[in-house]
Amino acid sequence: MKLMLSILLFIVSTTVLAQDAELSQPAPRLPDGTPDFAGLWSGGGPVGDIAGGLIPGEVMLLTEEYATVKANRMAADDPEANCLPTGVPRIAPYPWRILQTPAYGPATHLFFLFEGNVHSYRQIFMDGREHPPAEELDPTWYGHSIGWWEGDTLVIDTVGFNDRTWFDFLGNPHSTELHTIERYTRTDYNTLENVTTIIDPAAYRQPFTIRFEARLQPADWDLMEYVCNENNQDVEHIRGPARLF
Amino acid sequence: MKKTITVLALLSGLAASLPVSAHHSFAAQYDINKPITLVGKVTKVEWTNPHARFYIDVTDDAGAIHNWNIELGSPNFLRRAGWSRNDLQPGDEVTVNGSLARSGADMANAASIILKDGKQVFGRNAADDF
Repeated sequence: MKLMLSILLFIVSTTVLAQDAELSQPAPRLPDGTPDFAGLWSGGGPVGDIAGGLIPGEVMLLTEEYATVKANRMAADDPEANCLPTGVPRIAPYPWRILQTPAYGPATHLFFLFEGNVHSYRQIFMDGREHPPAEELDPTWYGHSIGWWEGDTLVIDTVGFNDRTWFDFLGNPHSTELHTIERYTRTDYNTLENVTTIIDPAAYRQPFTIRFEARLQPADWDLMEYVCNENNQDVEHIRGPARLF
Repeated sequence: MKKTITVLALLSGLAASLPVSAHHSFAAQYDINKPITLVGKVTKVEWTNPHARFYIDVTDDAGAIHNWNIELGSPNFLRRAGWSRNDLQPGDEVTVNGSLARSGADMANAASIILKDGKQVFGRNAADDF
C-alpha cells in the first residue's frame, strides 16, 4: 500500500538554494513541509565495489552460477567502459538531478537526470500505478520504476531489468530477476542518503542492503552535456579481468 | 622498436590513493606502478568525452620521435577543476607525469602536466569520495 503524501516540489534551478550552507544544516522543506530534493547531487551509489556499501551484518552470497559469471568477467566488457548505462544502483562520478512533474502538487513522474556515464535519465512513475505483468515488460537497462513517499523518504521499486549492467568495476553481477527497492532521504542539507535492497534470487542466495550517500555539489555547478561515445578510445587498451586495483 | 623512456618518480603532492576514472577501472587500463615522465611538443588536442586527450611528440635518446596519446579527465571534470580548453595548444612544450598504459601502446594517463608557462595542472579525476 503506498502512501501518497501531498506535494513534493523538485525545482530544477541552480539559483533557488544557497548551497554553500554549513554541513550541519537541516534538509530544506517546501512551504507545505514536504522534503525538497532539489540540487545537483554527486555519488549515492556503488562505483568500484558495491560491497563497500553493505550495511553492517549484510552479506552478498552469490549463487554458484553467478559466482562463475563474476569470475569470468573481463574489464573490457564493462558496459560502463563501453559507454552503456550503469543501471541501478551503480553510479558514475558525474552529477545528477532529481526533477518532478508537475513541479507543484502530487507528482505523476519523477526523473533522475544523469550527466554521465551516459547522458540519460531514469523515469519513476509516481502516479500510483503497479508494475506491468512480466510478460508485458521488455527488459531494460534502468528497469520499470514506481515510486511513492513514506514520511520523508522517497521509495522507488524497480523490476524489469536486463542482465547487462554491472554493479561496480569489480563486475558484481545480477540477473533479469533483479528487483531493487531504493529509499532516498535527505538527512541534512548536503546529504541525500540512498539505502537500497537488492533482491535477485537467481544471482544471490539472499537479499542484501547497501547504503551510500550523495553529496550536494557547489551552487554554481550545472549539469553539462556528456556524450560518452563521441571519442571512446579506451576499450581497445583495457586489459585483464574486471578489477578495482 | 626500442623506446627509451625516462622514468622519474612521481611528483610529490600527488594523491596516494588510486584515481577513480569516469567510466572504466583505471587499473584495467593503466599501471600506477609504472610512472612515466614525458617531455614533448603538443601536436593535437581532442577536447572530447569520455576523456579529453592530447598528443605529444617525444624524442627518445636515439633521436626518434614517438607520438604519445595522453589521456585526461573528461572536459566537464577539467572545466570544474579550473581548466580551459585553450590551456593546451598544438606547439606547446609540456611535461607530463602519469601512468603507462598496460597495452604497450604509446599511451599514458596524465596525473599532472607542466604547461608551457610553467604552471602545473592536474589531469585526473580525483580519487573519490563515494
